[in-house]
Amino acid sequence: MSSDFYQVSILPFSGIIIKICRAYTNSQEDFEDYYQEVCLQIWRSKDNFKNQCEWSTWVYRISLNVCLTFLKKQKNKGQMYFSSDVLPNLITVENKAFKNESLNQLYAAIKHLSEIDRAVILLYLEEKPNKEIANILGTTPNNIGVRVIRIKKRLKKIINEKFN
Amino acid sequence: MKNSIETIWKEGFLNEKSLVVPKINDLYSQKSKHLVDKIKRMFKINIITIILVALLLPVIYYLIDAIWQGIGISILLLCTAWYSKKQMKSIKALNQGATSYDYLISFDQWLKNALLKNENVLRFSYPLYFLIVMSTILSAWSKQEKLITKFSRKYPDIVFIGDIPLFTLIITVIGTLMMFFFSRKIYRWDVKLVYGRILKKLEETIYEMEKLKEEE
Repeated sequence: MSSDFYQVSILPFSGIIIKICRAYTNSQEDFEDYYQEVCLQIWRSKDNFKNQCEWSTWVYRISLNVCLTFLKKQKNKGQMYFSSDVLPNLITVENKAFKNESLNQLYAAIKHLSEIDRAVILLYLEEKPNKEIANILGTTPNNIGVRVIRIKKRLKKIINEKFN
Repeated sequence: MKNSIETIWKEGFLNEKSLVVPKINDLYSQKSKHLVDKIKRMFKINIITIILVALLLPVIYYLIDAIWQGIGISILLLCTAWYSKKQMKSIKALNQGATSYDYLISFDQWLKNALLKNENVLRFSYPLYFLIVMSTILSAWSKQEKLITKFSRKYPDIVFIGDIPLFTLIITVIGTLMMFFFSRKIYRWDVKLVYGRILKKLEETIYEMEKLKEEE
C-alpha cells in the first residue's frame, strides 16, 4: 500500500474506522487486527470505488462489512463473544479505550446491542441521514428511523442501569 | 444519565485527533500466521484420517476374506502417513523470524517441494493400490467356482489362465501402467480437491503482498 494512498485516502478517515472497530472489539489486540484488515480491504477495493457515493460512505461500508465478517468468523471459531445478556457490568481496563468516561460507558452500552443495531447507532451518531444509513445497511429509511428510536431508548436504559 | 447519547458522542470525540491510530506496518503478520496454521491443521487432519483408514481397512478386508490385501493397503497407507508426518516436521526449520512475506514465500516453496516429493512417491504407490484392489477382486472371483464354470460355459472362446480370464489380467496390467503414467495428474487432482481453496488463498496472499511491496 503506498504511503500516499494511506495518507490521503485512509488516514483522514481513521476516526471513522476507529469508532467502528472499537464498537466490535473487546481488546486492543483485536481492535488493531480489525483496523489493519479494514485498511487492507479499503486498499484492495479502491478500484471498485466508482464515485457512486462519497468516499467516507465507502469507508463506513467497508469498515462495517469487515467488522461484521470478522465477528462472524470469531463466533464460528468459538472465540470471544459474549451475548448481550452476559456482558460484564463493569468497564474493564481493555474497554477503557477513550479518556472520556461517559464515552467509555456509551461504548460499553453499544456493545450490548446486536451487530446490526450497533452499525445503525454508530452511523446515526455520525450524523448520517437515515437514507444513507439505509443505503449502507440495505434497508429502508423508515426502518432506520424506527430502529434508531428503539436503540436510543435501550442505550439510555442500559447506561442508567449499569452505570448510574 | 445527564447528557443525551448524541452529546456524549459529540463531546467525547471533540478532540478527535487524540484517537490513536494503530500502526499498520505489520499488515499481514496475523493473516500469514492464520493461513499457514490452517494449512498445517489440514495436513494434520489428513494424516489422522489416513491412519484411521489404515487401521480400519484390515478389519473390513478380513470380513471379506482378503486379510492380506487389507494388510497390504494398510501398510502402504501407514507409510504415506509416516512420510507426510516426516515432511511436516521440516516446516519447523522454516524461518519464522523473517518477515511475513519471507515466511510465506519459504512456506510456499516448502509446500511445492513436498508436493513434488509426494508425486514421486505416489508414482509407485498408486499402481500398488490398484494392484491390491484388483488382486482382492480376482481372489474373490477365484473362490466362486460355480460362477467360473457358468461363465466359461457361456463364453467358451475366452482364454483363462488358471481361474482368471486373460482379459482381466490384461486390464490389470494396462490399469497399473496407466496409474503409473497418470499418477501425477491423479495426485494433482486429489490435492486440488482437498487443498485447492486454501492453496489458492496462499497464492493470492503472496501476490497481494508483492503488489503492496511494489507500491511502497
